[in-house]
Amino acid sequence: MPGRQVGHQVALTFSLLTPLALGCQGMNTPIYFPSPDPILTVTGMNDAMGNAPRIENGMTLQFRNPTDAEQKALDTQTATLGFKVPWIQRDHVHIELVYQVTYNAVAGAAPDDDPNDIPQFSLGIDGANEYTKYDENIVAMTLGEGNDDAPQYIPLIPVTPQTIAEGQTISGTVREDDFNEAELDLDAIGRWMAPFNAVLINNSQVNPIGLSMVPPNVVIPALIEIDVNFTANRNMTCTYDIRVRDDNDQLLHDTTNTLFSPTPTLFVPVVPATT
Amino acid sequence: MAALVTSWLVAGASAARAQVTAEPSAVVFPDPAKFAHGLYTEGEVGAVAFFGKAGNDVSPGFAIGARVGYDLFRWLALQASFVGSTHQISGDNPLNGQLLQTYQGLVEGKLTYRFGQTPLFGEGGIGLERLSTNALYALMVEPRYRVGFVAGGGGGLDYHSLSRHFSVGVRGGFFVMAELTSSQELMASTYLRYTF
Repeated sequence: MPGRQVGHQVALTFSLLTPLALGCQGMNTPIYFPSPDPILTVTGMNDAMGNAPRIENGMTLQFRNPTDAEQKALDTQTATLGFKVPWIQRDHVHIELVYQVTYNAVAGAAPDDDPNDIPQFSLGIDGANEYTKYDENIVAMTLGEGNDDAPQYIPLIPVTPQTIAEGQTISGTVREDDFNEAELDLDAIGRWMAPFNAVLINNSQVNPIGLSMVPPNVVIPALIEIDVNFTANRNMTCTYDIRVRDDNDQLLHDTTNTLFSPTPTLFVPVVPATT
Repeated sequence: MAALVTSWLVAGASAARAQVTAEPSAVVFPDPAKFAHGLYTEGEVGAVAFFGKAGNDVSPGFAIGARVGYDLFRWLALQASFVGSTHQISGDNPLNGQLLQTYQGLVEGKLTYRFGQTPLFGEGGIGLERLSTNALYALMVEPRYRVGFVAGGGGGLDYHSLSRHFSVGVRGGFFVMAELTSSQELMASTYLRYTF
């Protein structure tokens, strides 16, 4: 067999295999971050005010600082658009959360046969981008000042309360599009003076109320901190993992890169003065 | 009338008897010397399963691969292989249902013992393996790593068609990963080979 023909055949083989290999590589390369210790655990005992027990933990995703070239590109884009362009952008950092809640059977506990007291749990997800931090507990506390009403928790991402049987385990996913909506809402609240309850309660794709001040060409920052609030009326545990797809390799790895450490401002709602 | 003619033909037919005029020549068939050898490529499909600690949390998955090699002799070949497999995380953990892919590239040596159309072969080599995610780390199954050395080997059975170029076969292999010290993987596949 002539050498040139063999060379062509080898080249053909590799030219067919290379796109396959590269295509496979780009399909699914997320990075998982396990929930911090200790895991979220509640006993189900109400607090002194009669509210269901809540517990919160969270994690801050560690990103690297931009290189000089990247910073220059950000500055140029900022100058072009006329408003600040974030380093960690929603279009390049995609977040998902997978969770698992278990109702731990307690020996000797009364059976769950009261129709008015169904075992259930709920999750509320808050967080921060590089400009603004949102904490539903702070918001509820601020709104509750001066009255004795039960606290109103409005998370960035609410997870519908679910009933659960004793000994059962329920898994769920807070999808990337849920985080996309939350990231838009948080940016609208933090940088564009949107009324927080209007944008959080409404899905922007259905009802974009409150988003009128957000420029149409805005570059939305991604969450860099994710906080999980877990509420349950029985003895339950919640574990979760954060799944991040990092398109531009901005997460901080064990290299010589330095840590990107913004200081987001805590959002505190303005409470109308009572007369 | 037609029925009458047909009956006559059937009733009147005598048994045919072949006449042997000579012994058939003794042909060595198939002649492996006529099979093509030299540069070859293989495409394969199969399954990859993890064993050890990772086996508890990673389901067996579908695998697809390709191989290119060169027969230095009839009994010895050098080859390079690439296999990708996709798996689902299983077990009682939040990542249940998430996907994990493995990509494995090896340089191998292959020894073949031929008899007729069905050579047996053994092969082994070393290379690199990459996991698409750090899910095994998140599950606290293995250390934090996504790329590492892999070594292993196996064997199989080849069946050569009467075409000069084509053969099909099955192979199995067992691999250990340098960074996944408590886990191994087993691969089984079927392949189509074309020798130029």
